[in-house]
Amino acid sequence: MIIISTQDFLARTQLDRETLEIWIEAEWLLPGGTATEPAFSEADLARAELIRDLIQDLGVNDEGVGVILNLLDQLHGLRKALADLLQSARQQAAPPIAGSSIGQGKDRE
Amino acid sequence: MKDPYETLGVARGAAAEDIRKAYRRLAKKLHPDLNPGNKESEESFKEISGAYGLLSDPDKRRRFDAGEIDASGSERPRQRFYKDFAAEAPAGHAYENHSGFADFAETDDIFAELFRRQARDTRHARGPDLHYRISIEFLDAVNGATKRLTLPDGGALDVTIPSGIQAAKILRLRGKGAPSPGEGEAGDALVEISINPHRFFTRHGDDIHVDVPVTLAEAVLGSSIRVPTPTGAVSLTVPKGSNAGAVLRLKGKGVPRPGGHGDELVKLKVMLPPEPNAELEAFLSSWAPGTSYDPRRDMQP
Repeated sequence: MIIISTQDFLARTQLDRETLEIWIEAEWLLPGGTATEPAFSEADLARAELIRDLIQDLGVNDEGVGVILNLLDQLHGLRKALADLLQSARQQAAPPIAGSSIGQGKDRE
Repeated sequence: MKDPYETLGVARGAAAEDIRKAYRRLAKKLHPDLNPGNKESEESFKEISGAYGLLSDPDKRRRFDAGEIDASGSERPRQRFYKDFAAEAPAGHAYENHSGFADFAETDDIFAELFRRQARDTRHARGPDLHYRISIEFLDAVNGATKRLTLPDGGALDVTIPSGIQAAKILRLRGKGAPSPGEGEAGDALVEISINPHRFFTRHGDDIHVDVPVTLAEAVLGSSIRVPTPTGAVSLTVPKGSNAGAVLRLKGKGVPRPGGHGDELVKLKVMLPPEPNAELEAFLSSWAPGTSYDPRRDMQP
């Protein structure tokens, strides 16, 4: 995974340091690393761009951003669970062995 | 590339504020991160953001209107969105959220297990399930029992076998699997049941079948005999003239099931004396049963 320093992150997202700190404080961004030296990923970068889109282009206010991110994270969790479920269902397309041979005999010969 | 005014659905002379409003209205609907499963919206969004990039910049807009640049002169649209990273993120990543489906994992079936697997995050991961196999006697399967399973690590696990259990059934013992590597709950023990065959009982659904030998005299003259059932021997009246292969039903002596029991079906097997018997031979050679006694009548070609 590519690790991005705070400085590079600010340059690539065109954010100012204060805004970034507020976003991390609000837990909109959860970078790895330590509090003094956060390590950002490409996913954090894309997430920051999404937050910027929400605020600047879509007119979402600060309260709304938190709500949207929470619902989006749930949506991605669901998409993953569904993808996993579909994959398992396809793998197990053949019916499992149920019960036993007992119970299929006739009452009398 | 399409005309940017057309893409945003605004007039050529539209005010900057109207262009912004039109873009915002479309972006709310089409932003790829708000439509993670929709490829079309991603394409449309790239188009409208390209158009907006051109028309929201007064200098670029003026040059476009004057015919100095064309619509492709706008900046390169974004290639990757957050949804792409979310889809590829490994389990346990920082933004993972299971609140949308954690309740689906509370039941006991195979689908719940899949959701549980998803819902595991690294810190609260559940311990793995452990698989065991236990073979039990036929009568324990019918009547129920408690079996002690000795584990590879020397521990023991008491397994309650419910009465009437089917072969190949898997019992799930919640929390009896391996402990969690972190703070999560322990996994489950999955115990597969195999049932040893019985010397004379066989099981068909909830009914028990048994062949019971009877003497020639018991079959011809009728009698009361003792027959075994899973819960002990009981008396059975063999009616006069019972033939070999006749099936007598003992109601409620079969396998327990919800709301009652199956039946035991007793099939009579007429047995001649093990040694040749002179008296019987003498009697039969002098006995004339009549012309209607032809057991192979239906087999004539």
